[in-house]
Formats: sequence, C-alpha cells, structure tokens
Amino acid sequence: MATAEKYLKPEVIRQIGRLDLRAQFIVKGFLQGLHASPYHGFSVEFSEHRKYTPGDNPQDIDWLVYAKTDKYYIKKFEAETNITGYLVMDLSRSMGYTYRQELTKFDYSICLAAALCYLMIHQQDPVGLITFDEKIKSSLPPRSKRAQLGNVLSLLSKLKPAGETAIAKSLVQIAAMLRHRSLLMLFSDLLADPEPIIKALRRLRHGGHDVILFHILDEAEVSFPFDGVVEFEEPETHAKVQVDAGGFRADYLAEMDSFRDTYRRECFQSGIDYVALDTSMQFDKALLEYLVNRQARY
Amino acid sequence: MDFVNPALLAGAAAAAAPIILHLVMRQQPRHLEFPALRFIQVRQDANRRRLKLRHILLLLLRCAAVCLLAAALARPSVKASGVIGDQEAPVAAALVFDTAPRMDYRHQNQTRLEVARDIGLWLAGQLPPDSQVAVIDSRHGEAAFQVDLGAAHDRIKRLETVAVARPLVETLEQSAEQLRKSELERKELYVFTDLAQAAWKRQGTSTLAQRLAKLDEMGIYIIDVGVEKPQNFALGEVHLSSEVLPRSRPWTLACEVMATQPGARVVQAYLVDSEGKPQKKGEDTVEADPQTPRPVEFAIGGLETGTHQGYLRLVGSDGLAADDRRWFTVEVKPPWPVLVVASSPSEARADSLTRALAPPGFRRTGQARWDCQVVSPQQLGQQPLESFPAVALVDPPPLSEEMWSKLHVYVQDGGSLAIFLGPSAQPPYNGVGGQELLAGALGIQARFPDGNLHVVTGNEQHPMLARFRPLRGSVPWDAFPVYRHWQLEPVEQAAAVLNYSNNRPAVLERVVGKGRVLTMTTPVEARDVSDDNRWNRLPVGFEPWPFVMLMDQMFQYLVGSTDGRLNYAAGETAVLRIASARQFSTYLVTTPRGDSFRQSADASEQSIVITGTERPGNYRVRAGGASGGIDRGFSVNIPVEASDLTRLDEQQLKQIWGEADFRLARSREQIDREVNTGRVGRELFGLLIAVVALVLSAEHVLSNRFYRERAQQPGRR
Repeated sequence: MATAEKYLKPEVIRQIGRLDLRAQFIVKGFLQGLHASPYHGFSVEFSEHRKYTPGDNPQDIDWLVYAKTDKYYIKKFEAETNITGYLVMDLSRSMGYTYRQELTKFDYSICLAAALCYLMIHQQDPVGLITFDEKIKSSLPPRSKRAQLGNVLSLLSKLKPAGETAIAKSLVQIAAMLRHRSLLMLFSDLLADPEPIIKALRRLRHGGHDVILFHILDEAEVSFPFDGVVEFEEPETHAKVQVDAGGFRADYLAEMDSFRDTYRRECFQSGIDYVALDTSMQFDKALLEYLVNRQARY
Repeated sequence: MDFVNPALLAGAAAAAAPIILHLVMRQQPRHLEFPALRFIQVRQDANRRRLKLRHILLLLLRCAAVCLLAAALARPSVKASGVIGDQEAPVAAALVFDTAPRMDYRHQNQTRLEVARDIGLWLAGQLPPDSQVAVIDSRHGEAAFQVDLGAAHDRIKRLETVAVARPLVETLEQSAEQLRKSELERKELYVFTDLAQAAWKRQGTSTLAQRLAKLDEMGIYIIDVGVEKPQNFALGEVHLSSEVLPRSRPWTLACEVMATQPGARVVQAYLVDSEGKPQKKGEDTVEADPQTPRPVEFAIGGLETGTHQGYLRLVGSDGLAADDRRWFTVEVKPPWPVLVVASSPSEARADSLTRALAPPGFRRTGQARWDCQVVSPQQLGQQPLESFPAVALVDPPPLSEEMWSKLHVYVQDGGSLAIFLGPSAQPPYNGVGGQELLAGALGIQARFPDGNLHVVTGNEQHPMLARFRPLRGSVPWDAFPVYRHWQLEPVEQAAAVLNYSNNRPAVLERVVGKGRVLTMTTPVEARDVSDDNRWNRLPVGFEPWPFVMLMDQMFQYLVGSTDGRLNYAAGETAVLRIASARQFSTYLVTTPRGDSFRQSADASEQSIVITGTERPGNYRVRAGGASGGIDRGFSVNIPVEASDLTRLDEQQLKQIWGEADFRLARSREQIDREVNTGRVGRELFGLLIAVVALVLSAEHVLSNRFYRERAQQPGRR
C-alpha cells in the first residue's frame, strides 16, 4: 500500500492551502463573517505580519513589532474555528470499483478526504475519521494536531473497501455517536436505496450537524461507456444482468440522472451540501470549485 | 420481368450479410462488474423490447438495401427481347409491310406505303451491324433473310401494293417462322400497317389471338402508318345481270358506292371498243352516305356477239384510287344450237322443252339463248352431232345399238346429252348401248297419283342449280306435282343432281369420257293425256317459271356455260372454257398493264387456266388471229374489303392481340423509344436505385437517430 503521501500531492496542497473550510453554523447570525467571529482569538495561530494600511482594524496592530521597529504591522492570523470535522468514509465493496480510471472511487475519496483533512488541520480544527460498511468499522477521534493528518491517512490507506454496505444504518449510528455539533464529510457512492439514506441524512441535520455529501461515482457509472452485449454483475449482491450496453446507455443515463437529481433535491431541501463527483474529474479542481462556491455562500 | 445481367441477382445473397453479422457478431457477453446495476435492472425489459424492434427495423432496411441494389445492378426490365447482351448486339429483324391496296391511300401527298417505306428504310439503317433482316410483304410466297442490309434497303424501296394481299396474320406467322430459323438471340418483328380492320378481321378474334400469342417470344413493334380519319369514296362489287348473254338481250350492270363521308359522286360506265378505246355508256350521280352503300345501275343494250370489257369509274379524286374503278367482262354469244330428238309428232312432243329453252317472243327478237332443232329418232342417224353442243332425247323410244353407239361416241368426244325418260322408255334401254349413257338401269315406274310428289331444290351444291340457291325455299315446286317417274338403279359413275321430295333422284348426271349425260326420270312433255296417264305438271302448271329456269340451267350446264366465270377477284385462278372445236395449242394473254404472255391450254379440260391474276383490270386472251381465231377475256377486281379503310382503335388492337405483347409506335421517335424499351425492356434501374437511395437514407436517418442518442449521451452530466 502506498504511503499516505500519495494522497497528498504538493500541487493539491498548494491549491487548497489558501482556502479554509468553514462550518456554516459558525457564521450564522454574523454578517461580518470571519472577522466578527465570537471565537476570535480563542484558538488563534499567528500566520504572518504585513504593513498596516489605512482601513485595517487598529486592534490588529502588533504593538510589540511597533516597539521594535517603529513601524505599524498588522498581525495576520490563520482562519480560526473550533468546528470538529469528521471524515465519514463508505467502505462498501462498490467503492473499490473503477472501470478505466486511475483511481477507484475509494482512492478518489481518500484523496478528497486527505485534502480536506489537511485543510481542517491547517486551520487548527480537529478532524476525526469514521469508516463504515454495514456498521461503523473504525474511527479516529478528532484531533487538530498536525500528526492527525498522518494518522488519518495511514488508517485510510490500510482500509480496503470490501463487503456489503448499510449506509443508512451506519449514518444513524454515527448520528447517535456524535455528541457535539460537527461537520460531517460523507464520502460514498450511495448505491443503495436512497430513501433510508435521505432519512438518515435528515436525522444528522436535525442533530445540528453540518453535512457535506460527496457523492462519488466512477466515471463509467456516470457515462456508461460500454458497448456490445455485456453481462454486468453487482459486486456486493452478485446479481447479474445481460444487456446490449450500447442500446441501453440512454436508459441508464436517464436513470442515473434521476438518481442524482433526487439526492440533489433532497439535500438542498435539508441544507446539505451535495457534491456530485465522478472519478474522471480532477478532484483538486472539483474540490477547489466546491470550496470557492461554499466560501461565496457564507 | 427480364434482367440484363441476371447473374448479378446472385448479389441479393449478400442480403444475408447483415443477418449473419447480426447473428454471428452477437458476441459472447463480456463479463463486467458494475456496482450501479440497480439502474440497469429498472429499465431492462422496456429497453430490450425497444432495442429488438430497432434492430429488426434496421436489419430489414439493410437487407432491403442490399437486395434492391443487387436487383438494380441486374438491370431488370419489364420486357426484354434478349436474354443477355447489350443493345448493339445484332438482331434478327423481320420488317413486315402490309401491302394491301389500302396502303395506296394518299394523305399529305404520301401514300401509306411510301410512309412505311421511309420509316422502314430509316429503321433498317438503325439496326445494329450484322443484323439479319427479312423484308416481307403481303404477297404470297416464301420469306427469306436479305443478304445484307443493303439488299434489305433495295427490297424496301421496291415494295408496292398488291391486289391479292394475304391476311396479315399469315404474313406474321411466316415472318415469325423465318425469325425462329435465325440463330441470333434477339428477334424483332416490325409490322408496318395502317391498322385497318380488314387486315385482321378475316377470322374469329379468338383464333387470331391464339395464333398471335405464339409470336410472343419476340419483340413485336406495330408501326402505324395509317391516317386517323381517312376520306374515301369506293365502288363496291360489280353485279352483272349475266356474264354470258345472247345477242340483243338487254343487260344491266350494278354496283354500290361506299363512302366514309357524305358527298355527291358521279359514276361512269365505259365499254372498251374493238380498238381498245373506252366509250362512255352511262353516267349517274350518286349521293354517297357513310352509313349505307348507295346502289347505281346501268342498262346497256345492243351488244354485238363477242367478248365485251369495260369498267365503272368514280369521277373525281380521293385518297385511295385503287377502288375508284371496277372492271367487268361480258360475253355475247349467238344462240347455242340444241338438237332435240322426239318421237313423232316430234315438234309437238318437243314443244314444252323448246318453248322453255327458246320462248317464241325471244326467238322473234333474236334474244333467245338456244336454237332448238327438232328431229325424230329416225333422223338422228343423219345428223352431224358434233355441230351441236347439246343433244336432248325427249321421251326416247328404244334406240338401236347403232344409235346408242353414235351418241356414245358423241358424248365421249365432249358432247352433252340430256335424256328425259318418259312412257316410251322400255327395258331394251338396259342393253349395252343404253347402259353406257344412262345413269342407271331402268327399274319400275313409281306412281304418285295424289300429286304429293314434287321436285325439291335446296342446298344442292351442283353448279347446275347455282341460280336456284339464292331462291332457296321460295321456288313453288309443290305447285308442279310429279305423278310418275322412273326409278333408276344408278351406276357407280352417276350422281343425283336433283331429287324429288321422296328423296329419289329426279335428275342424275353421268360423266362419260369428256362429255356428260343428264338423265331426268320424268318427261317434259305437255301432252294432253288422261289423269291416269299423266306424268307431271312441270311444264303446264300456272306460270311454270321454275321449269323454264331448270331447263335453261340444265342446258347451260351441259354446254359448259356455267363452269366458266368471266369476272374474278384478284388472285383467283381464272378458267376460260374453250369449245373443243376451237382449241388452239397456245393463247396470248394480255394483262391490264399491256404486257402479254403465252399460255397453253389444258386440252383435257378444254380450258385455259390463268393463275397470274394479281393485277386488277381487264385481261384479254387471244389465239388464231383476227379471223377464225379466239378473242376472249376476263376481268379481275380487288376484293371490296381490300380497300376498306375502317381503322382499329388501340383497344380493338389489344383485343385482337390478346395476351401477346406488342408495342405500338407512330413516329420515328416513338419507334426509337419503344424499340429501346423493347430491347432492354422498360428499365427499372433508375427506379430501383431511387428506392435504394430511399432505403439507405431511411436506414441512415434511423441508425443516426438510434446511435446518436447513444453517442451524445455519454457526454451528459
């Protein structure tokens, strides 16, 4: 198994390093956004100095530096939060599938998770990990130390997506497990009955949790690139269906669209961020796009 | 349907390719793991059905495209005369020209035959090189291929109408026969005709259709050179009151004027005089009516002894000149001498016969046909029998063997004898001499005192009764009862000519040597006898015209006047009877054209037989010079129907041809087109290619619709 580093490419880090992941509940009611955070200064970490320019908050002037240099410098702080993030990883066997991409859905999820983990730790937020298949399989308690990223990644790299899954059940378990309001980042292909899953998601929301649903599908599952007569086998249930793939594409795609639309609609109604991804998309770009969008929203 | 390249039809087998591809290329299913199977399962059934339908539809379209393409490349045609080969392959062609007199119909200063000739020459020039061409006209004779196209050209140029046109269907059959002899694959029959009904309707339509159907194997092109609405006046058949008549007997000449449109026409009657110049003998104006022929009649008198020829002429010109003249010949003869032998009182006993043959009124005016000389049986020995063409024995008593043998020699040499048996007949007749002449041995006298027996004339075909035939049923024979007649046991050479109502013979004929003997089994006397002794009332009943006519016909037959005709239809064999005494070995026959040829006489038949009567007009037959020689003649006319211009319409033509396929053309362009379509058939290539294009575009549109969906949708997100 490759080391955790394979999931964290420097260019990715560079890309997302300047972003932050903010929980929406933190900013609720504060129009000023970041700077008006009531938790300001509580878990601060100095980031850099820069010259004062008129219009900056005079409170941020570092007087020690002024004393030493006789110049006004502003103390820049890293974005601060005290949200607890949980990376919730689906370990079902279907997550280990890819048709013709480099990354399986699971690998893709890990990459995303790693980036997000890095981002959270970078902004001093504790991040934990929960994996599940039919039930919760393993979990790492949230920590904000830098070592946490290594822990998370080494655990993920050890895991193998295998066996069946019960997403709804596992989500309910997670909801019961979490005591504080947390940011749940769920990575799953959601290939199960949508209704109980949606219910479980609602329940999470009801528990005050912020949920980002990364719906990760394989490129083949999205584009259905098959031709000719193909016998498809479901990896978990081993059910088989033989079809003329070329002629079936339209039907399949329609069905897939409606499936994703259902989630998109339901998530929107429940205030869940639904991010539909497939393994052909560059995850860094996709993530960046998402984060920029999210930043614009809050 | 025919194919120019039938071998290419095998290409239709390529239609199997899409099917095979469909079946064979149905590859073993690939086995793939696919987590999102649930989305497939949802729509699996509906999709399978729809897909199958699309597949079948596309498969059908592709197969159809391949089949149609193969069919198109095989160049199918609705009709082709050849099996394989290009249009320039040599053909065996028969150019059949209808050369009936109708074809002389002139329209726009061209006769129909000239038009046909022009087209024929052009057509012969169009035929592919090395073609075999037979030029056949309506003349009777063998058909043959011309040596080369040049010879065919010459033959066409020399074509002219013939008065004796054989039926077109016969010509066609002969031409087809000739074409079948050719080894060339393609056979074409071109018929140049004016589409006149007369050319086709000589026999039943069904027989005609059957005969024509046999020609179906070849390409038949009917080239119509006729005129849609011909305008013509025509003279019909000439009716002479008599072809042979005694001197001074008045004589009438009748004819009908037929027309295609109303109008007044002048008909003139001409007689050719001894110098060969026509002399007008009468003129009449006739209002012609297209519906009914109008009769015209001329009475011509004062004809001298000899042969007279002339013609009737329609004055003015019309489209067809051939039927504007009708020729005729009539012979005026001196009375025939007849020797009547009757027992004493000879004159009285022969009176009934002599009055019937030469009525006193006619004798006085010189119109009598017969010159009867009455002698007693005793005087018979002194008579030079050879100077009498006929001898009549009226109720002869038993004659001596010497007399019988004299009569026998006379008959043997061509003389004619009439024997009227009566009460004087005795069994000695049954002797050798009598039996050599009589039609049979005398039997008993059959008696019918109630008067319920009479002579019957009906359907007898004997030339002696020719004049009675038109009167069938209207001759009052029952008003002339026969009470008694001899019953004969006919010899083998004898045949009954006329019967009684009990079917017993009344008149029998026996041919002896060159002559003939007529035996009547009841006498012809009008003696005043008691009811018990009377034999018949033939000559004495009320207005005994049937008896007079019977006697006249009997003697005309005996002297041979009924066998010879003087007026013939073109093509008929003319037979002129020549009295044995006046025979020459050869005769000079002058045709209407003015040229002459020598013809030898048939000595045994005492006649001259002339077969070359194709040209209408007056023929002259001469021998022996001006004095003491023979100067006879006869006339030939074209048949009336030969100039009937009534046209067939296309429907009638189709009816006549029945199932046989033919092409009708009027102009050169039409011929060109019809021949092209006929040779290669009506090409379906263009049509099929259009259909192929349609099918292919349908296939393209459909498959695009089916597969574009597939191609586009992977891109959808």
